[in-house]
Amino acid sequence: MMLAVALLCAAAAEGAVRHRSQSAHNQIVVEDKGGYRMLRFNGSMETRLLIANPLLGHFEYTDYFQMPLLWNPKAKRVLVMGLGGGSTQRAFQHYYPTVLVDTVELDPAVAKVAKEWFGVKETKTHKIHISDGRGYLRRNKERKYDAIMMDAYSSNTYGSFIPYHLATKEFFQLAAEDLTANGVLAYNVIGTYNEWRADIVGSMYRTMKTVFPHVYHFPAADSRNIVLVGVKAKSGGLTSATLRARVDLLRRAQPKLPAYFGPRLGRIRAHAPLSAAKSPVLTDDHAPISKLLVPAR
Amino acid sequence: MDEANTAPRGRTLALGALILLGGFAVMVLEIVGARYLQPWFGGAFYVWTSQIGMVMLALALGYGVGGHLADRFKKARFLSLLLAPAGIFILLIPQMAPGVLDGIVDRHEKAAAPKAARAESPTTAITAITETNLLAELPKDFLEGNTNNAANSLPAPPVDDAAPLEIPAVWRKLDPAIGSAVVFLFPCFVLAMISPFMVRLASRQVAHVGTVSGLVYAASTVGSIAGVFISAYVLIDLFTTTQIFQLTGALTLGLGGLCCLIDWQWPEDLQDA
Repeated sequence: MMLAVALLCAAAAEGAVRHRSQSAHNQIVVEDKGGYRMLRFNGSMETRLLIANPLLGHFEYTDYFQMPLLWNPKAKRVLVMGLGGGSTQRAFQHYYPTVLVDTVELDPAVAKVAKEWFGVKETKTHKIHISDGRGYLRRNKERKYDAIMMDAYSSNTYGSFIPYHLATKEFFQLAAEDLTANGVLAYNVIGTYNEWRADIVGSMYRTMKTVFPHVYHFPAADSRNIVLVGVKAKSGGLTSATLRARVDLLRRAQPKLPAYFGPRLGRIRAHAPLSAAKSPVLTDDHAPISKLLVPAR
Repeated sequence: MDEANTAPRGRTLALGALILLGGFAVMVLEIVGARYLQPWFGGAFYVWTSQIGMVMLALALGYGVGGHLADRFKKARFLSLLLAPAGIFILLIPQMAPGVLDGIVDRHEKAAAPKAARAESPTTAITAITETNLLAELPKDFLEGNTNNAANSLPAPPVDDAAPLEIPAVWRKLDPAIGSAVVFLFPCFVLAMISPFMVRLASRQVAHVGTVSGLVYAASTVGSIAGVFISAYVLIDLFTTTQIFQLTGALTLGLGGLCCLIDWQWPEDLQDA
């Protein structure tokens, strides 16, 4: 116990802890280190940014949340589930300033910290809703979103966690109802995939496939995050020619498209993850999530 | 059977099994129930708070009322009159609860438009996607990151329209408790009655009430501990929630049957006190 306390103190001493709080849902720590500001929930890093330029230094996987724009170059409204330090929200506000962003965050304390320490603002184009993600979709009858981005994943030293009710077929059906005809759902999953055992990436792929006719995925280069992208429209399948056409449209529609968009798009995978054949579809009735999640390494 | 009839040891074992399995069933309902409620009330904290609180309330009521009924009726088969409806109630949770829980959540709606109900079997095959080189026709400079996009002046952002209804903070907390109560209060209340009933049935002399009640608490708690870990580590991975409720309902009906069996096998033991 004493050793654990001593180790914690040593770890904290390396960086400067700027903020520490405990909410009903998370133990929240904001820490500055090496020019970066970091947000930790329960010990695991949720967000980082470069203090000198908050548009840089974020986790690469959040860039893949811009990929839904390929199907909606003139997107009007998007929904982001999970706020953290607001990397996705910051990118959208900067590169796609006409897009209205709704953020759904479960923990009001996270929203407070994001505003105080990560420059997240509620503006005409960005609103934060304190709610469970599924409850929000269920109550939402009016709004249709061009894209829904799911970033409700968290991890700590015990491994990764995903709220199962945000990962089932029924959830994706609910989300698809709130998408526009060309709507796209992007889902951040932490994991790896291989052909010899079931895992969460394979399960999420198969589960999304039950609702979305086309599912692509983008494995991040710098972490074990994989962003799955589900396209609602049957006509939304990509070929080299249609992708070229979509890119051209997007470059015309979004003049501030970031220079990293192309290289990120280059990581697209159209095939099923290798583990998909072995992994079960998740339903409200049976979602053995904890069995599928990757062990901490 | 004949052997058991002459040995009160058999009766003690039956009472012990009843207590242990009763404690087990309560915690299966608590743990699996908290997960079951997630699609309606969300993931984390308040669902667990509600579920623990409501199960504790059920236990308190069950202990209190159960003890009183035990003194009054003395027969184990009286318990089966309560365990039978509790078992049927648990069996019917997968069919009956979704409608009630929908009602709790949807009462906040101004105009309720029910969402599509739960769907069919989770075993659809993956359609194979042949990987073509999707990137073949994209400009090299774009893929390498040299975008040359013209920075036009941007149109003013459109005005925000009406947001979806937000549930008031108090209901975000209380709704899960109402949901827990509606689905789990009654069966846990009945299952909690087993313990005080067993204290009454197992105590022949006042001098032994301390030992007997201590053993009953211990056995019930050991059953509960097993219920917690077996639910979380085994049942949720192996079975659907529907199956788990069906198994627990069947177990509860079985406990009712065991109560009748106890009366039938060892009637003389119920004469004293």
